[in-house]
Amino acid sequence: MTLTMFTLNAFYGLALAMNMFIIASGLNLIFGVLRVINFAHGMFYMFGAYITFTVAKSWGAPFFVGVLAAAAALGLIAFAIERLLLRHLYDREHLMQLLFTFALVLLMSDAAKMIWGTDQYSVGYPPGLGGAINLGFVVLPQYQLFLCAIGPLIAVAMWLLVDRTRWGRVVRAATQDREMLAALGVNVPMVYAAVFTIGSALAGVGGALAAPRIALVPGMDATIINECFIIVIIGGLGNLWGSFLGALAFGFVVQFGTVLAPNWQDVLPYLLMLVVLLIRPWGLLGRPETN
Amino acid sequence: MKYSVMLAAVGILGAGTAVAQQPIKIGVLYPLTGGGAVYGVPALAGHQLAIEELNAKGGIMGRKVESIERDDKLNPASASSTMKELITKDKVDIVLGGLSSAVGLAMSEVSKQEKVVYIATIPKTIQMTTDKLHKYVFRTASNTDFEGDTMAMLAGKNKLSKICHLELDYAYGNDLEVGILKALPKHAPNAKIVLTLKPKLGATDFNPFIPQVMAAGCDGVLSGLWGPHFVSWVKQAAPLGFFNKIKWISGGEIGSHEIAGELKGEYPDNVISNAYELWYAGNDPSHKEFQARLAKKLNTQETPQWAALGYIGVMYAAAAMEKAKSTDPDKVSAALEGLTIGTPVGKLTIDAKTHQANIGQFWGPMVKKPDRAYRMMEPAEYIQPK
Amino acid sequence: MPQRRYLVASAIVVLLLALLPLAGSRYAVDLATEVLIYALFALSLNVIIGFTGNISFGHAAYFAIGGYACAILLTTYNWPLLFALPAAVVLAGLVAAVVGYFCVRLTQIYFAMLTLAFAMLVWGVAFKWKEVTGGDDGFTGIKLPEMLAHHVRFFYFTLAVVAAGVAALWVICHSAFGLTLVAVRENAVRAGFIGIDTRRMRWAAFTVAGTFGGLAGALFGMYHRGMYIENAYWTESANVLIMVLLGGIYSFVGPIFGAAALHLLQTFTNQYTPYWPTVLGLILLVIVLVLPDGLIGLAARFKARRGKT
Repeated sequence: MTLTMFTLNAFYGLALAMNMFIIASGLNLIFGVLRVINFAHGMFYMFGAYITFTVAKSWGAPFFVGVLAAAAALGLIAFAIERLLLRHLYDREHLMQLLFTFALVLLMSDAAKMIWGTDQYSVGYPPGLGGAINLGFVVLPQYQLFLCAIGPLIAVAMWLLVDRTRWGRVVRAATQDREMLAALGVNVPMVYAAVFTIGSALAGVGGALAAPRIALVPGMDATIINECFIIVIIGGLGNLWGSFLGALAFGFVVQFGTVLAPNWQDVLPYLLMLVVLLIRPWGLLGRPETN
Repeated sequence: MKYSVMLAAVGILGAGTAVAQQPIKIGVLYPLTGGGAVYGVPALAGHQLAIEELNAKGGIMGRKVESIERDDKLNPASASSTMKELITKDKVDIVLGGLSSAVGLAMSEVSKQEKVVYIATIPKTIQMTTDKLHKYVFRTASNTDFEGDTMAMLAGKNKLSKICHLELDYAYGNDLEVGILKALPKHAPNAKIVLTLKPKLGATDFNPFIPQVMAAGCDGVLSGLWGPHFVSWVKQAAPLGFFNKIKWISGGEIGSHEIAGELKGEYPDNVISNAYELWYAGNDPSHKEFQARLAKKLNTQETPQWAALGYIGVMYAAAAMEKAKSTDPDKVSAALEGLTIGTPVGKLTIDAKTHQANIGQFWGPMVKKPDRAYRMMEPAEYIQPK
Repeated sequence: MPQRRYLVASAIVVLLLALLPLAGSRYAVDLATEVLIYALFALSLNVIIGFTGNISFGHAAYFAIGGYACAILLTTYNWPLLFALPAAVVLAGLVAAVVGYFCVRLTQIYFAMLTLAFAMLVWGVAFKWKEVTGGDDGFTGIKLPEMLAHHVRFFYFTLAVVAAGVAALWVICHSAFGLTLVAVRENAVRAGFIGIDTRRMRWAAFTVAGTFGGLAGALFGMYHRGMYIENAYWTESANVLIMVLLGGIYSFVGPIFGAAALHLLQTFTNQYTPYWPTVLGLILLVIVLVLPDGLIGLAARFKARRGKT
């Protein structure tokens, strides 16, 4: 592999990782705090992409307005779902929440079909990010460069939010002991609602940012949900930097693996997870669960 | 005595008309949810249009036609169960449809077990009309051998010398590769395949492949990347100026309006591809009329190509039953063999031996049109097996 | 004793099912065959979920191995069913034992994801090993013994095999082994303190689950006369998982109800409308919100209302 090829692949791996991280970080937040296995997270991603299409392509708004619209819309949808339905299930058997999110996937897939039909859609690159930068020995697409910048920004923003704000401390406390937290006078249900909303909005943003690079088709939720879970797990459940690391591992393994071992394309993420879990049973940065 | 004869006569007549009143039931399976719905829903629309037209003209053999429609969920075991249900519970007389090769083969297997005619309208796997062929299965879709042959022919016509070959790594892609490799020596003896890459089915990220193709120094690409795969490739390759110097010859119907309309200004230069049917071009006088009726049903002039395939399936089912004057599967099967009918894409004949219809496709370059937001195939040449 | 009551109830159910073909509906018999197969599949998964308290996202792997192995032995190697079926089941059990050995080192969601990883590797093998499995064209045209070619006889065969499987699982789950598993599920730490090797117990449970899952898979392949890679994919694992959750994980028979309910719902909603996901989703939503323990909760409520405990 030449230097050019290596740099290119490393770059693409990074861009893929950053796009995946944005979506996975939302899942990690929800999973880490609420312990909800949200099968519908992939649907939120898909809705984010489709909403961006409607706003940016059909209504002619600028692309980034579309991204914001996706975040807002998904936040709203998630908030409604959480307040109206999900909160009744927290005290139940965790596994029943799975059943709930599965039902959500069914309902949202038909909702998407009814709103957008079964056609394929395409969102163009925002102006100024549709070309490539020539660095001499390598040419890098601008949009991917943008993703490589946005990913760490979101990571840092989330880290600041969870680690450096009072609200973040409350969220972390809710992970440990919500009864105590409630006893201390914190509105735990609202914390949960906020977490579910933010996490889902992130999925929507991830979908919106992915939109210019891919075809928007029904069924695009299915692979994403698996890949997100893999990233969250190999990073270590509930750990933000774990998800970041997991996304990086995912991006590089998938990129280089597809180039060097194309026969294994279909199972690369699963192989990665297998290897990581066998070596570090709690994920790269995870810690053993106490409860 | 006369009275009882009269009674008997009335009874027989009554029974006769009772049979005559019974509708002819056509069962159909297409994916209506999930990833396959992009193709299944328009195909079903074309199917329904044909049924409506049949009934408006009095049905088949004077009997009304009832269409019993189910989602195959793109799952072969599920399709198999649902097809059996159509046969044992709904008592359909014939089954049409299927999309993926696996579903098509599963439906073919049920057709063989239950001895009910199945017309595959979209599955392209060559196996269906070769090693897995049997009395009751027929195909009105194209197949990978013919598609590969045409692509090889175009490679020769465009004087490609160094070819990069892209196929999706699953049954269709591998079958298409076989079809191309078989035909390349014949049509393009001087061409050499310098690189073969096989992205996985469902890949959304083509960045591992695009640089490899650009570095391979080929003057053309033969591609089996269909639908969303092509679209994603275009979006990821366009910033790098990929299509400036490479000719892209593609199967997989990415010359259809669905893809052109989806990509609009993003659709790249230098693409030659195919489509089963184009709303703006026809090779048969009946096409304009068909297109008008389809446009009315779907409320848009720019109709998807898959509708034509659903439509043709029904046409063949109806024609065979009329010819056999019966719905008996053995008789219908015999009637289908060698049957020639007129369709919106011209006269088609089902080969008596292989049960394959000689359906062709429109092939041509996708050019920018000054007055349109999307590209169109021009010239669109209808290429059909002999 | 309660055992006798369950024995009588089961005998009645089996008898009623045996009488089904007399109704003369081919469709009903086929549907019943499918439900029986899924019931066994779901029951086998619940050995892991209900009895050890862990969730598996990769149970379809053993279903697929059982199905493919039986299909290949019958068709490619012309083995008689008498050898092919047990061989397939043993193979599924063996793979489950190997995979389980690694998986039980982990717990909770990590365990679940590792089972998924292994299952997707099995899928990958089924996909790529085209010469043996048929790849994504599927392995069609499975050769069944003449005796089973007729749908009624196949139904009786399935009924017999599934009844035997359920009986075997019952015995296993209500033996000392099974009761110990429940102890592990309830409080793994405590179980460890009283000297139970929790890891070994969970490993054994995983193997049992895989074995019976393989049996269900073998029946599945034979019924469809074909095995497809879609039946090894994670969506198949998710499907059977939903069946178990729907039925109720804390009861032995819960999964049977869940399998019947989900399969029948999926079948009938597809007949009713192309928007079956909405109908099915709404029904599942209502069940989740109203019945916290799954469908088996209906039975409990019914009993409570009648004053029994």
